[in-house]
Amino acid sequence: MKVLIIEDEPSLRNSIREYLEHQGFICEVAADFRAAIDKVTDHEYDCIVADIGLPFGSGLDVVHELKTLKSRAGIIIISAKDSLEDKLSGLELGADDYLTKPFHLSELNARINALLRRKNFDGNTHISFSEITVIPASKAVLVHDNAITLTGKEYQLLLYFIANQHRVVTKSALAGHLWGDAYDQAGSYDFIYTHIKNLRKKMLEAGGEDYIKTVYGTGYRFG
Amino acid sequence: MKLLTKTTLYFIILMLPVFAAGAFYLFHQFNKEIKHETDEELVNDHLEWLRYLDTASVNNPIFRFQTQEFRLIPTHQPVQQKFKLKGVALYQETEDTYAPFRELSQVINLHGQHYQMILRKSMIEKDDLLKNIITVMLLAFGGLLLFVVLSNWFISRQIWRPFYRSLDKIQQLQLNKMETLRFAPASTYEFNQLNKTLNQMTHRIHQDYINIKELTEDAAHEMQTPLAIAQSKLELLLQDENLSGEQLKNIGQAGEELQRLSRLHHNLLLLAKIENQQFPVTLQTDLCQVLTQYLSLFEELVHEKELTIETSLVPVARWPLHPALADILISNLLGNAIKYNYPGGRIHLSLTDKTFRIANTSHLPEIPPANVFQRFRKNNPVYTNSNGLGLAIVKKIGDSYAIHITYQYLDNLHIFTASR
Repeated sequence: MKVLIIEDEPSLRNSIREYLEHQGFICEVAADFRAAIDKVTDHEYDCIVADIGLPFGSGLDVVHELKTLKSRAGIIIISAKDSLEDKLSGLELGADDYLTKPFHLSELNARINALLRRKNFDGNTHISFSEITVIPASKAVLVHDNAITLTGKEYQLLLYFIANQHRVVTKSALAGHLWGDAYDQAGSYDFIYTHIKNLRKKMLEAGGEDYIKTVYGTGYRFG
Repeated sequence: MKLLTKTTLYFIILMLPVFAAGAFYLFHQFNKEIKHETDEELVNDHLEWLRYLDTASVNNPIFRFQTQEFRLIPTHQPVQQKFKLKGVALYQETEDTYAPFRELSQVINLHGQHYQMILRKSMIEKDDLLKNIITVMLLAFGGLLLFVVLSNWFISRQIWRPFYRSLDKIQQLQLNKMETLRFAPASTYEFNQLNKTLNQMTHRIHQDYINIKELTEDAAHEMQTPLAIAQSKLELLLQDENLSGEQLKNIGQAGEELQRLSRLHHNLLLLAKIENQQFPVTLQTDLCQVLTQYLSLFEELVHEKELTIETSLVPVARWPLHPALADILISNLLGNAIKYNYPGGRIHLSLTDKTFRIANTSHLPEIPPANVFQRFRKNNPVYTNSNGLGLAIVKKIGDSYAIHITYQYLDNLHIFTASR
């Protein structure tokens, strides 16, 4: 899967690249508007991660250009401007998702994965991790071909873990993923633990291995 | 009071005494004139009578002739050189009333005998004349007054029209739609000046508004980018498998604090945006739907704490609020009610078209009223997750969109009410 990262801040660009490459993506980068336009006209990408504020132009214009080129690439806008107009105009122009800075790399990765599932396979495929199989179309989860029943939140957690397999994901990243902006109303992250406990239990009962490792004081690692 | 009503009223108040004084003066003058005329007639008659009486013999029946208009009364008073004039009222048998008369009297000497001669003239007809004159005068004055007041009203209305047009525009002013606002030139110099000034002013306000808007957005950009970099670096650092547990925990905590900083910044910007009215009311938001959505979002939290939620909601409650603000209003209040509750506590929710009321139990004591909506005034030491802005934001939404937000502590319940 090829991803183009359009971001003018070198440090952030490199972080995103490092994380995504580790998760198995082939990444290319563009540091400004012109480089971005050159890249999207010359190459095909599965997903494009575009910042709005760029030297020589706007990320929104890149989205516009992609639509003119009839590109099939999924587009995720990342912006520091938490402005509703930007978000709406980005989505109206044809972007698929919008992420406000600062974001968790694990969240960006999960969104790219979800987007690619929707785009490339119209949801008609399955995701595998060892003995675990997830069929997104029917939201079914199989462990050793035994179907297990997960709640909505547990299902979301599992997908998040598989997308960010072998990586430490923080509790706040999980909370943000499950509850969105409302998670800072939660008061504590204790309730995440309940969901994790239940998910782990259900997978163990179906004969799966315990892939969810608690990372002391920080979060969890899957696989 | 409207300007037009006020000027008309002042006009009437000023004109009434002037007209009254005018009417009184005219009445007085007429009265004097009529008296004068009557007196002149009496003096003429007096001369003629004197001439006639001089030639009359002693036996003339005139010496026994007595009417209201003429009488000669024998008297012992000394002869008067000069006649006297005065007004008297005499009884009229036929009409059973007193009628006004002018009277001329003089003691004269006729054939060695002193007589008091009295000549009178009725003023009844002249009185009627006066009354007629007064009526006509009053009618004329009244008509004039009415005409003046009406024309003043019409002229004022015509003249002030551009002013009311401008006023109307100012009242409907919305910050984010100000660039299209133009006050058209008027034919009156002063209004023209006013509209010019208003044009300049709205232009300047709009510029300021754009500047502040850009500033907040730029500030967001400048602040969130370094935060995003730092957070991503920490997240990458976490992946290092050689780290000890203690190091992982420290990195995790640093990440948490960055998150908190970012949220804080986000909320401060949000406050500024609400204050700038950057969330126009374009449509009515159904608060019931928002509330239901957040109730299901917070379901686990409620379940975890074993809270009992009692609701009394109307099926549809449309409030004039931007959807983003409706979300914030509901999530902040509901979030607080859950966060500060104790396990097994209660939450009461009621929602109508006009009021939203949320009451919850808590171990926390009553919040001092002065502190409730203060920024950074954390009313509890327990939760580090709080940034002390949630209620300030709720209050700011209320202030900016005409929603009244109040706090009460009753029967061990913390009660927040939003009403419009």
